[in-house]
Amino acid sequence: MKDLAFYGFAAALLAGAVGTVVSRSLYRAAFSLAATLLATAGLYFLLTAAVLGAVQILLYTGGVLTLTVYAVALTDGERLAGPRWRRPLPAAVLAGGLAVALGSAALSVEPSVGLGGLEDGRALGVEVFTTYLVPFELLSVLLLGAIFGALVVARKEREP
Amino acid sequence: MTLPRLLVLSFAMFAVGTFGVLARRHVIAVLLSIELMFNAANLAIVSAAWAHGLLHGVVVVFFAIAVTVAEVAVGLALFVLAHRLRGTNQLDDLNTLRG
Amino acid sequence: MIWAIVALAAPALALVAIGLIPPLRRSGRPAAWVSVAAISAALAAAAVAAAEVVRSGPAVREVLWAPLHSFPPVRFGILLDGLSATMAVLVAGVALAVQVYSLGYMSGESRPSLGRYFAYHSLFAFAMLGLVLSHNTLQTYVFWELVGLGSYLLIGFWFERPAAARAALKAFWTTRLGDVGFAVGVVVLWAAGGTFVFSELFERAADGSLAGPMLAVGVAGLYLGAAGKSAQFPFHVWLPDAMEGPTPVSALIHAATMVAAGVYLMVRIAPLLAHTPTVSAWVLGIGCLTAFLSATMALVERDVKRVLAYSTVSQLGYMMAAVGAGAAGAAFFHLSTHALFKALLFLAAGSLIHALHTNDLFEMGGLYKRMPWTAATFLIGALALAGVFPLSGFFSKDEVLAGVLDHGHRFAFAVLLATAFLTAFYIFRAFWLAFLGGRDADRHAHESPPVMLAPMAVLAAGTALAGLGGWRAIAHMLGVSVSFPEGVHAGHPPAIVPVLGSAAALAGIALAWSGYGRGLWSPAALRAQLAPAVRVLERRWFIDDLFLALYRALYLVPTRIVGWFDRYLVDGVVNWVTDRTRAASQALRVTQSGRVQDALYFLVAGAIVLLALAARS
Repeated sequence: MKDLAFYGFAAALLAGAVGTVVSRSLYRAAFSLAATLLATAGLYFLLTAAVLGAVQILLYTGGVLTLTVYAVALTDGERLAGPRWRRPLPAAVLAGGLAVALGSAALSVEPSVGLGGLEDGRALGVEVFTTYLVPFELLSVLLLGAIFGALVVARKEREP
Repeated sequence: MTLPRLLVLSFAMFAVGTFGVLARRHVIAVLLSIELMFNAANLAIVSAAWAHGLLHGVVVVFFAIAVTVAEVAVGLALFVLAHRLRGTNQLDDLNTLRG
Repeated sequence: MIWAIVALAAPALALVAIGLIPPLRRSGRPAAWVSVAAISAALAAAAVAAAEVVRSGPAVREVLWAPLHSFPPVRFGILLDGLSATMAVLVAGVALAVQVYSLGYMSGESRPSLGRYFAYHSLFAFAMLGLVLSHNTLQTYVFWELVGLGSYLLIGFWFERPAAARAALKAFWTTRLGDVGFAVGVVVLWAAGGTFVFSELFERAADGSLAGPMLAVGVAGLYLGAAGKSAQFPFHVWLPDAMEGPTPVSALIHAATMVAAGVYLMVRIAPLLAHTPTVSAWVLGIGCLTAFLSATMALVERDVKRVLAYSTVSQLGYMMAAVGAGAAGAAFFHLSTHALFKALLFLAAGSLIHALHTNDLFEMGGLYKRMPWTAATFLIGALALAGVFPLSGFFSKDEVLAGVLDHGHRFAFAVLLATAFLTAFYIFRAFWLAFLGGRDADRHAHESPPVMLAPMAVLAAGTALAGLGGWRAIAHMLGVSVSFPEGVHAGHPPAIVPVLGSAAALAGIALAWSGYGRGLWSPAALRAQLAPAVRVLERRWFIDDLFLALYRALYLVPTRIVGWFDRYLVDGVVNWVTDRTRAASQALRVTQSGRVQDALYFLVAGAIVLLALAARS
C-alpha cells in the first residue's frame, strides 16, 4: 500500500519537474512546480515526517509559488519571446552526466527499510529550541534581512 | 520504498532541475529550476533521516526550507528591479560582468 | 671635567637656540651675540679645564650607551688631558677671535643671513670641540663628519655664487674620500684591538697584542682621513678652492682648526705610529712632498687668499712630516703657533679685502699708509710664518726641523729647509705687493673698524709672545696626556738648525725685497723667461685635471655601462613579463562572457568530476 503511494507520488513529482523545465508558459511552469512540491510533501508524509510535510505545503508551495506568480504578473507576464532554451544539448549532456554520477552512488546504498519515527512534532520543537537555538535565531535575522532587502531592492523610484 | 529508490528519485529531480538551470532563457524559469534542485536535495536528506531514524535531518531541512524562501524572495525582488532597469527578462542580457 | 662639558655644551646650546628659534636667527645681530657669548664661555671653561689637568692629570668621563647582552657596550666619553685641553683652548680662542672679527667683516650681510652664519659657527665650534675631547675613535669619527658638515656649510655660505657652491662640494667630497679610509681604520683597529678607546688601544699596542699588518692598516686608514682633512697631497686640491668662503671662515677653518684636526689626530695616535714604521715613513714622505709642492704653487698666485691657502697646505705638510719623523710634540707645537699666525694673516687679508673689495695682489700697493694696523699685523704674521726670531713661528719651525733631523731624515730636512726659503719668499712677495711697492692703490681705502682690528691685535700679540716659553709649556701639557706616557722632552735643538733655518728665511725675505721692493731684478721678466714652469705651477701641477680625468674614466664609464644594463636588460625583462601577462589576459578574456549559465556549465562539469573521484575512492 505504501509502495503504491510512493510510486504515485514519484510519478507526479517527475511529471511536474519535467513540466517546469519544459513549459513555454511561465504560469504553467509555476504550477507544475507546485505539483512537484505537493508531491514531495506527500512523500514527506509517507516518510513519517508529518510536520515537515505541513511546512512544505505552507511555505514552499504556498509562499514561493505565490511570490513567483506575482513576479511574473508584475513584469511582462507569461509571454515568452523567442525560444525556450539556449544550447539544450550541452545542458542535457551535463545533466545526464550528473544523473549518472549521482545515480550510481545512490544505487550503491543498502536497500534498507527506514526506521522512521520522524513524526514527533514535540521532539522536533525541542530540538529546534535547544540544540539548534542559535541557528534559529540567526534564521530570524536572515528572514528580517530578506524582507527588508527585497523591499528596498524592488520599490519604485521616488519622484525627486 | 527503500532508501536507494528514494535517492534515485531525488537525484533524478535534481538532474532535471540542473537541465532547467543550464538551458532555460527566462530568469524566472531558471529560478523555478533552482527550486527543483533545492527540493530534490531536501528530499534526499529527509530520506536519509528516515532511513536512520535521525530527527536532525528533519531539523536541517526545516531550516533549509526557510532559507530558501528568503532567497527566493530576494531573488524575485532583484529580478523585478533588473526588469525595470534593463527592460529584459532574458538571463543572457544580464552580462555586464563580461571580461 | 665639568668644565670640559660646559665648553662643549655652550656652543651646542647656542646652535640649538639660533637654529630652533627662527625669530632669533632672523634678527641677525642678537644671534651673533648669542654665538659670541657661547664661544667666550667655552673658552673660559676650556681654560679652567686646562688648569685642572695641569693640577690633577688626565681625566676621563664615560657614558655607556645602549648596553646589549651579546655585544660590548658602546661607550661615549670625554678625554680631558693635556693634549685635548690645549687644543680646546686653541680652538675656542681662535673661534672667538674670528667670531668677533666677523661682527665687523660680515656687517654688510642681511639679518637672516647673519643669523645663519653664526649658527654655522656655533655648529662648527661644537663639532670641533667634540672632536678634540673624544676619548675613542668612533666618537672622533662622528664629530669629524660633523666638522666636515660645518666646513661645507661655511665654505658655501654665499651659495648663490656657483663657484662657492662648487668649492663647498669639492671640499666635502675630497675629504669624504679620506673619511672612507678613516672609517676603515676605525673598524680595523677595533677588529684587531677589540676597542675604540684611545688609551686602551695604546695599551694593547704597547704590550704587543695589537700589532702587525692589522695595526698598520688601521693606522694607515686613520692617516687617510687625516690626509683628507689636513690637505695632504693629493687631497690638497680642496683647500685653495675653499677660499670662496668668507675670509673669517678661512681663518678659522682653513688655518687654525679643521685642517689641524688631521694633525691633531695623528698626534693623538702617536703611540700607535711608533709601532708602524712603514706608515710613519709614508706620512713623512707625503708631508715633505706636500710642503714643497704647495710652496711652489704659492709663488705665482695673484689672489692673496690663495697664497695663504697654499701656505697653509705647506705648513700642514711640515706638521705631518714632523709626526712621521717621530717628533709629534714638535708637530703639535707648530700646529699651535701656526693656528695663531695663520689666522692672523687671514684676518689681515680679510681687512684688505673688506676695504678694497678685491683679492688681487696686483691691484694693491702702498697700503701701509692708509691701513697701518693691518700692515703691522700682517707683517708680524709674515715674520712668524717665515720663521724669524723671536716670533713663535721661529721656535716651532726650528723644533720641526730639529725633530726631523734628530731622527736621521737628512733628505727630508733638506726639502723642508728649501721649503722654508720658498715660504719666506712668497709671503714677503705678498707683503710687498700689498703694502709697499710704488703704487698707491686705492685712495678710498681705509683702515678696518676696531671690532676687526682688536682680534687681529690679540692674535698678533699671541704670535709674538708665544715663542717665549711656548715650547716648554706645550711640552709640559703634552706630558700630562694619554698619548705621551713618557712625556715630551723639551730640549734645545742642535745649533745648526736655527742657523740654517734663519738663513733660509732671511734669504727668502731678501730675495723678495730685492725683487719687489728694490726692483733689483724683474719678477715679470723672470716669469716670462720661465713661462713653461710658471704654467705648470699655475695649473697646480695638473692635479685637478688628473682627478677630473680619473673621474671621467673610472666613474662615468661604469655608470654608463650600468645604466645601459638597467635600461635594456632589467627593464627589458620586466616589460616582457608585463607584455606576456597582458597577452595572456587578452586570450583568456573570451571565457568570460558575463553570462551566468556559461559559467555554470563548468561548475556542473566539475561537480561530476568530483563525484566520480569520490566514488572511486
